Amino acid sequence: MKSLAKQETQPKSRLIVRLGVFLASHHILFSVICCYAGIIALLLLPSLAKNTYLSENALIPGSANPLFSTEDAIEANRFMKAIEAVARDSSSVIGMANFIAQQIEDLGAEVCYQKFLPHGKNFHPLKFFTSMTNDIAIQPNGTATNFGINTIGILRAPRGDGKEAIVLVTPYNSQRVQSNELLSLALGFSVFSLLSRAAWLSKDVVWLSADSQFGEYAAVSAWLNQYHNPVFLSHSVVSHTKMYGANNIYDGNSEKTEATAFKRAGTMAAALIFKVGETRRYSDRDSVTIYAEASNGQMPNLDLLNVVHYLAVHRQGFRVNIAAFSSLLSSAWLRVIAEILHTIGSVLRKINPDWKLDIAVPDYVEGTANLANSMYNQALGVPTGSHGAFRDYQVDAVSLEFSPTFHVKNENAKSLFLLKGGRLIEGVARSVNNLLEKFHQSFFLYFLTGPSKFISVGVYMIPFALLLAPLPIVAAALADGSRSMEKTADKLIGDGKTDGIADISQNKGGSWKWLRAAKVLLVVQLWAVLVSLLPYYITQIPDATPTQSTLIWVVLSIVVLISLSVLFGSPYSTGVEWKLLKATMITSISIGLGLMSIINFATAQLGALIVIPMCLFSRPLKASGMNFLPRAVLLASNVAFAVLGFPPVALLIMKGVSKGSRSWTIDVGDFWVWMEFLWERSSATYLYLFLVHLPCWLLCVLVFLHPCHQSEYKLKQE
Amino acid sequence: MAIRYWPMAGAAVGFRLVLVLFGGDLHLASRPEVSTPLTSLRRLAEGYWLKQASVSPYSGSMYHGSPLLLSVLGPLTSSRPDGHHAHIYCSLIFVAVDFLAAMLIRATGHELEMARNRSLKSLDLTKAVKDTVNVSAGDVASLIYLWNPWAIVTCVGSCTSPIENLMVVIMIYGSCSRLAPLAAFGYVMATHLSLYPAILIVPVILLLGYGLDAPPPKVFVIKGSIARKSDVSDNDKTSRQRVVQQFSWKPVLHFIFWLFIWSCHVLLLSSVILKKVGGLHEMFEKTYGFILTVKDLSPNIGVLWYFFAEVFDFFRNFFLMVFNMNIIFMVLPLAIRLKHRPCFLAFVYTAIVAILKSYPSAGDSALYLGLLGLFVNELAEMQFTFFLFFGYIGVSLLSPVMHNLWIWRGTGNANFYFATGLAYTCLQTVLLVESVSSMIKHDRKLRLLVTS
Repeated sequence: MKSLAKQETQPKSRLIVRLGVFLASHHILFSVICCYAGIIALLLLPSLAKNTYLSENALIPGSANPLFSTEDAIEANRFMKAIEAVARDSSSVIGMANFIAQQIEDLGAEVCYQKFLPHGKNFHPLKFFTSMTNDIAIQPNGTATNFGINTIGILRAPRGDGKEAIVLVTPYNSQRVQSNELLSLALGFSVFSLLSRAAWLSKDVVWLSADSQFGEYAAVSAWLNQYHNPVFLSHSVVSHTKMYGANNIYDGNSEKTEATAFKRAGTMAAALIFKVGETRRYSDRDSVTIYAEASNGQMPNLDLLNVVHYLAVHRQGFRVNIAAFSSLLSSAWLRVIAEILHTIGSVLRKINPDWKLDIAVPDYVEGTANLANSMYNQALGVPTGSHGAFRDYQVDAVSLEFSPTFHVKNENAKSLFLLKGGRLIEGVARSVNNLLEKFHQSFFLYFLTGPSKFISVGVYMIPFALLLAPLPIVAAALADGSRSMEKTADKLIGDGKTDGIADISQNKGGSWKWLRAAKVLLVVQLWAVLVSLLPYYITQIPDATPTQSTLIWVVLSIVVLISLSVLFGSPYSTGVEWKLLKATMITSISIGLGLMSIINFATAQLGALIVIPMCLFSRPLKASGMNFLPRAVLLASNVAFAVLGFPPVALLIMKGVSKGSRSWTIDVGDFWVWMEFLWERSSATYLYLFLVHLPCWLLCVLVFLHPCHQSEYKLKQE
Repeated sequence: MAIRYWPMAGAAVGFRLVLVLFGGDLHLASRPEVSTPLTSLRRLAEGYWLKQASVSPYSGSMYHGSPLLLSVLGPLTSSRPDGHHAHIYCSLIFVAVDFLAAMLIRATGHELEMARNRSLKSLDLTKAVKDTVNVSAGDVASLIYLWNPWAIVTCVGSCTSPIENLMVVIMIYGSCSRLAPLAAFGYVMATHLSLYPAILIVPVILLLGYGLDAPPPKVFVIKGSIARKSDVSDNDKTSRQRVVQQFSWKPVLHFIFWLFIWSCHVLLLSSVILKKVGGLHEMFEKTYGFILTVKDLSPNIGVLWYFFAEVFDFFRNFFLMVFNMNIIFMVLPLAIRLKHRPCFLAFVYTAIVAILKSYPSAGDSALYLGLLGLFVNELAEMQFTFFLFFGYIGVSLLSPVMHNLWIWRGTGNANFYFATGLAYTCLQTVLLVESVSSMIKHDRKLRLLVTS
């Protein structure tokens, strides 16, 4: 009867099922191969980078002769001298803003001011997920003394319909004026004045001189917030005079009060943030550094970078850089890897000339340093500059930081620099002006390995996919293994019973046994959610130092963990098998990493490098059935991962490595500061750390400490 | 496994109340997974406002629900206390409705359990099968319904799905406990509210005619022939005869009579409500017509919106027919195969409707997952449960992320969101296929146990 039943229920399995069974039975080999392949593919990425190219034909950068002439440079110089005088004379915020507004008005453009308050340190980790339109702009009321003022000039395009706009941003600190910031204001003004005379303009131009006394990002995001979320006041007249009228901006000059209303242009096609940085004298050419990473690993469309790079290098002769990890540039082991890859690449090239993997050693090292920085900035999820604020509203934006090589007093070199810089910005504005649609042709998802080299999503997915591939296989193998173990155990127990009953009880809740493991997982996840929400309450405590806050956080987390285990029973009390627990953990981690790779790929990629080995290695301390040596190695790696995988420890070590500081002082408060940095900017990395990484770490520890006496427990139950 | 039922149920209701009263505005009502054009409470409020202004509530393609809901829930939507959930009174009603539905599911589960015990006893399999199961199906099912995150989200998220679900549950409960008027009421209301439950007439008639779920009649025949050989007492025979019943027409006719009466009531009330502002004709056109012709192509978790956004207008009518017939095609074969288990058949039909309906939402899935719990004993050996469980979790997390990527960040496109919908449909299909096949396996095992 039994054999008949088996024949009926198990027909000859299909090829795909057999393939799955084959993979599951060799899951250790498979996961080792996949993990190594993933890491090797990650190391190969710099040699797989492609040169950038312009996808959007409408951009045609550099096709028209630049109109920015020496006269404009002289104008910029004049502006700079004047504003220097104003900055020296006036002590308040208002003086410079007033002067800029006056100059804009003289050009015949519209002008308005925006007052804003610094951002509070709010806890809103999920903000990236909800729409930005739900925010209401915070209006400073009359009593606030500490506020910033943005000055906005708007040029209405002579040929446009006012539906689209190009935004130019020059940040300056109104409290502590520096000559290079004045230079960037002068550059901005001269370009703006040129554009006010341009007949070809078909998009409005907005020039925002952002008051960066609370940071550039705060100023720009405050302006963008008010731009996109209009405030409708029911009693507008009264509140208007309350908010603006009584202020001393215009000193009672009543005819200009209409200028105080917030003004808008059309939807933003692109934004260009430029500032002049410190002068560098050791370089031979003026250089431009491009910053593009916005919040949560979002990047502007690659075409915008391409336009900037093309014009800067091929038209104006700038040297273009992107930020790099300078410590990697001089590291010896990277050089060794580069040598090895170069040798292998040149062998491969002899086999097939189309495989161009033999990248030169310095190129590889430089590419890796750039790539590491690009990945790190994306993974952190915190924008590298004020361009990040634009990306939150789906506007492509890029920051340019000029590093001139001259001394500020050198008038000739300054004029030349202004000429080149002005022509670059004019060219970019002209290209964007040509656009008929939003940027959409080129890539949004890419890593940069150089100013003109990129890795697209199709290539950089491969290492991640290879790392993730073993997880479902291992989960299936573990779940299947526990079931077969169950069968043998049950046979031992139920030997004396009759055949028919044994047949059923063999599968005693067989396919639902994982429910217990799922319960443990859910409790752990609940704990993680509570822990990630605790800072909301801790931030309410007034005057807490970071160290105190961290300690409160840790103590509360432990209290929550204990109370949860009292409420739901300790994880081992229900007799959950460690194999099922591990299978559940691996499944949950693959869901978590998969989700994170969609939200912020770089975080998932870097997280996978830590989490996946941690998951795959995890094994109970008391599990039997292995020789001494492999067991000892497994145990050691388990302990190492349990220590390294704990987020505070990992972050402190990362800090030590990245700073390269010899002094390994352990400051608990640092952790709080780091986390504050993440949640203030609503970085999804915070959520990843606490909702994916932390529960995975706790489950690994639970698996490691598992008592492993299932059969005894079962016998007791019987 | 001992389940403390009442504390768990109370905690679920308490959790909902906490979310409603203190959750603030979670913006769940704007999620495409939660509210559809048919069930959105915001649209209902708009319809109510139009009606108060003496305009047809159906004008402007805003409201597509029933006029009865309009007059029951409408007055509650107009008052909006400050600092609270936008539709707090409606949400409180929905909490009560969910609780009632869970209680009815529990009662249905007890009925089913009793019927199962009866039939197992008559097959002398009580000991053999009892060994594997000691879970109360009704408790499990109603707890699944109460604690299902989708049910909670639906309940809190201001949409009328809980009421539709309650009507389906009333119908199933009524026909399980042979209360023809109640079953007819549930059937008429469910069909009136969302049309698709109309196909549940098959399981309802089977339930009223043949009685509750039982092993296939063949098993009883085999048992009878074995018993005849071994010459058992008369007492056993009579009990067996009671289980294998003939189709009884009386309750069915009773049901049809009440069906007629309730339909008249609903139509009359609707026409009274819509008396001055349009008629029944417009109601049918704007509710049933809207459902069948898939007019609104805004994204949801189903697959039809994407298909009909892509299809050429020329073929639109043809594919409308194909997609609507798709549900009808499956009714008859399943009814023939599962006619001995009408309650399970009702679960299968609700699941099929949730997959193939034109505006599906999480609430539909909450209903059939709750009903799935009723068969926890029969489906103890279901395969791929691990995969399905985590698949459902993964999809329900993926869907908002993909939506965010498409709508708010602009780095994704419609295909991203549709891919989630496709994966979700695949998961539901796997669940359905697996549950049906393991139910059939269960029946086969009973036969083998009887013959051995």
